[in-house]
Amino acid sequence: MTSTLKGITLKGSAELVAEFFSFGINSILYQRGIYPPETFTRVTHYDLSLLLTTDPKLKSYLTNVVSQLKEWLFECTVQKLVLVITCLETNEVLERWQFDIECDKSAKESSAPREKSIKTIQHEIRSVIRQITATVTFLPLLETPCAFDLLVYTDKDLVVPDKWEESGPQTIDQPEEVRLHSFTTSIHKVNSMVAYKKTESA
Amino acid sequence: MDLEDDTTILTTLKSFNSFISRPEHPQRLSEHSAGSGILQSQYKRSMELLEAAERVHSKNRYLQLDQEKKQMELSHKRARFELERAASDSARDLEHEVDRNQELLGQIKKLEERAEEVNKKLTEQKEANDALQKNLEGLNKTLEERDDKLGTANQTIRSLKDEIRELRQKIQNQDSKMSAQTLENQELQEKIDLQQRKYQEVSQLCQSLQAAQSSCSDHIIKIKELERRLVFQEQDFAIVKTVKSEVARVPDLEKELKRLRDDNAYLRESRENCSLLKEEVEGLRKKLERMEKTKEELINMELEKERLTEKLHAWENLGQSTGLNISVRSVERSQSELRAELTQQHSKTLEEQKKREAQDALVRRLQKRVLLLTKERDGMRAILESYDSELAPTEYSPQLSKRLREAEDILLKTQSHNAEMEVCLQACINILFFFALLNSVCACIFFLRQKIEDLERERQRLEEQNNILEMRLERHNLQGDYDPVKTRVLHLKMNPTAIAKQERQQEVEALRQEVTRLRDLVRSLQSGGAVGHSQDDTHNPSFSLSLAPSKEVLDLRKQMESSELRNQRLKEVFQRKIQEFRTVCYVLTGYQIDITTENQYRLTSVYAEHMDDSLLFKKGSNGSMQLMETEFSKTLGEMVALHLHHQKSIPAFLSAVTLDLFSRQTTV
Repeated sequence: MTSTLKGITLKGSAELVAEFFSFGINSILYQRGIYPPETFTRVTHYDLSLLLTTDPKLKSYLTNVVSQLKEWLFECTVQKLVLVITCLETNEVLERWQFDIECDKSAKESSAPREKSIKTIQHEIRSVIRQITATVTFLPLLETPCAFDLLVYTDKDLVVPDKWEESGPQTIDQPEEVRLHSFTTSIHKVNSMVAYKKTESA
Repeated sequence: MDLEDDTTILTTLKSFNSFISRPEHPQRLSEHSAGSGILQSQYKRSMELLEAAERVHSKNRYLQLDQEKKQMELSHKRARFELERAASDSARDLEHEVDRNQELLGQIKKLEERAEEVNKKLTEQKEANDALQKNLEGLNKTLEERDDKLGTANQTIRSLKDEIRELRQKIQNQDSKMSAQTLENQELQEKIDLQQRKYQEVSQLCQSLQAAQSSCSDHIIKIKELERRLVFQEQDFAIVKTVKSEVARVPDLEKELKRLRDDNAYLRESRENCSLLKEEVEGLRKKLERMEKTKEELINMELEKERLTEKLHAWENLGQSTGLNISVRSVERSQSELRAELTQQHSKTLEEQKKREAQDALVRRLQKRVLLLTKERDGMRAILESYDSELAPTEYSPQLSKRLREAEDILLKTQSHNAEMEVCLQACINILFFFALLNSVCACIFFLRQKIEDLERERQRLEEQNNILEMRLERHNLQGDYDPVKTRVLHLKMNPTAIAKQERQQEVEALRQEVTRLRDLVRSLQSGGAVGHSQDDTHNPSFSLSLAPSKEVLDLRKQMESSELRNQRLKEVFQRKIQEFRTVCYVLTGYQIDITTENQYRLTSVYAEHMDDSLLFKKGSNGSMQLMETEFSKTLGEMVALHLHHQKSIPAFLSAVTLDLFSRQTTV
């Protein structure tokens, strides 16, 4: 655990970013209605009221992914995290939440911790999560039953761990893109954006 | 009240009496007097009865009053008794009270004694109290002093707290200042970074400038060198001019030299040509030899040809004389072959002839050239001999020798001059070379400048392209594209989308299976239902295909079966009964009654002589039976007339017919 007195270490930064992803993904799943709202419970974090899922299968899946992500963040080998929402009937991608991660590789394990207050980082994370909640206003309704998937863009020379496999980028054809706020822990910088399929109107 | 009621009754009675007993009207008729006397007696009786009733009533009242009085006396007695009892009780109580009073008085005395004691104690205690109060006052004073001290201490505490608050505020201020300063620090650091970057850029620029300056100095040095060279070249130019004037003095010798050299060259060429021509001549001779050989061969070939033709003729003659058709074709073939050979040889000879002609022409030309060359050679030889003859004089004149020596000196001079001139030429060539170098350098510089401009333009263009490509890359990155060389996209194998797809697939398959099963069920039901309609009793084996027929269906089926069975049994029973009845009718009446068509009945007798003998009856619209004409009925005309027309009785007719037939049967 990092405190303002000690500064941000690489390990602390990886933990912060992984925590953000865990909460962010839960928020997105709740907002977009991928899982029924009654399966979510309220918790307080970052001075906000956030929702976490109680579905055990989903929980275990998310912890698997986030723990692996934490390792990769510590090794600075991860480039992007993408949440892809697919329509089950037509098998086409409807939404794509992309989080670009820029890692300052000069911050190794042994280097001195960086001066950045946790409050500032939390403030930035708060603004990102508020924006995610606000996207409901302009994103098109998901009327058909949908499922989601988490993709991780890593360096090519990485060893693929057990239970993980390669996949395609699962991009959207002619998407509308909206950039959200970004936050940085002074070691990791996370840029957020959402791309969605244009609805046929008029 | 009763009394009052009685009084009213009495008063009314009295008034009625008074009315009756009033001076009567003049005594009326005796008829009525009797009546009035009866009335009076009746009235008197009633009055007596009333009085009696009154008496009884008053007696009753008197009795009642007596009773009441007795009751009152009884109650009085009881009250008195009770009062006496109460009085006795109260007397007893009084005694008790008196006793108690005395006791209480004793107690009072004791208490008074105690009170006196208590009073004494009170006074003593008051004295103690006073002493204590004095102590208290002293203690209060000390308390007050301590309170004062506490107050002062509290004040000091408050002042200290205020100081603490002030110190805390100061600390907070300093914290805020610190944070502001850290922010400033960060800003300054950022500025420093910016400045450092700028400094780096500037240093790079400086380095580039220095490099440019060094290159400039180099160029300046080069320019200076070139200027020096220019100066040298100008000097050399002056020298060249002086030399030129000297050179103009000796044009003739140069011309002669040239001429001699040309002649030499020409002679050398001719010598070479001679050698070449000699070689050609040798070659041609060899060719000639070959040609002669080929000629001989030709002649041989011609001789062979003649021989072959003679052979042919001989063969043809043979063929004609003997008249054998042995291998005419072979002969013809050989003929054709020989002809081909002939043509070949002809062509060869033609070619050889042509070659020979060409070679002859070449040979003639070469001979001509050889002649020319030999003539030239002779001419040259003559010239040389003439020169030699000129130069080999028997009489040397001194002038000629002088001229010779002068000419030789001049030759030497000219040779030395030539050498100098060649050196000068070399120098000029070098100068020219340097000039050319300069020009080339200038051209190079110009060229390089142009190249620099082109490269600059290209750099700008490439920069713009780079920017566009970077934007495109960024857009693609936004959309999720990646460079497969550097990155890789991973996801968990058991991810929710894959799981959802699997579940969907399984659902779809399960639904399909159910659909097929239901279709089969429906088909079987339809076929089973269709067959069930046609056959009443039998159970269709396809019923067994239905997997789970509902209970209702089973019950209904059972009901249906039972009802069908019942129907069947009823039919059998009816059939049996009908049959019985018919046989009984037949036996008893002697007629078999059949219904042929609607409302038509055919009767056949037991004793009928023929099978066809029958009577037809028709039921009319009004319900009456009428006999129809049949063959048999025609024979029974009498009976018809008698029984039907006259007696109007069908049973009689029928019985008559039976009897008649029976009689016939028995007699016959």
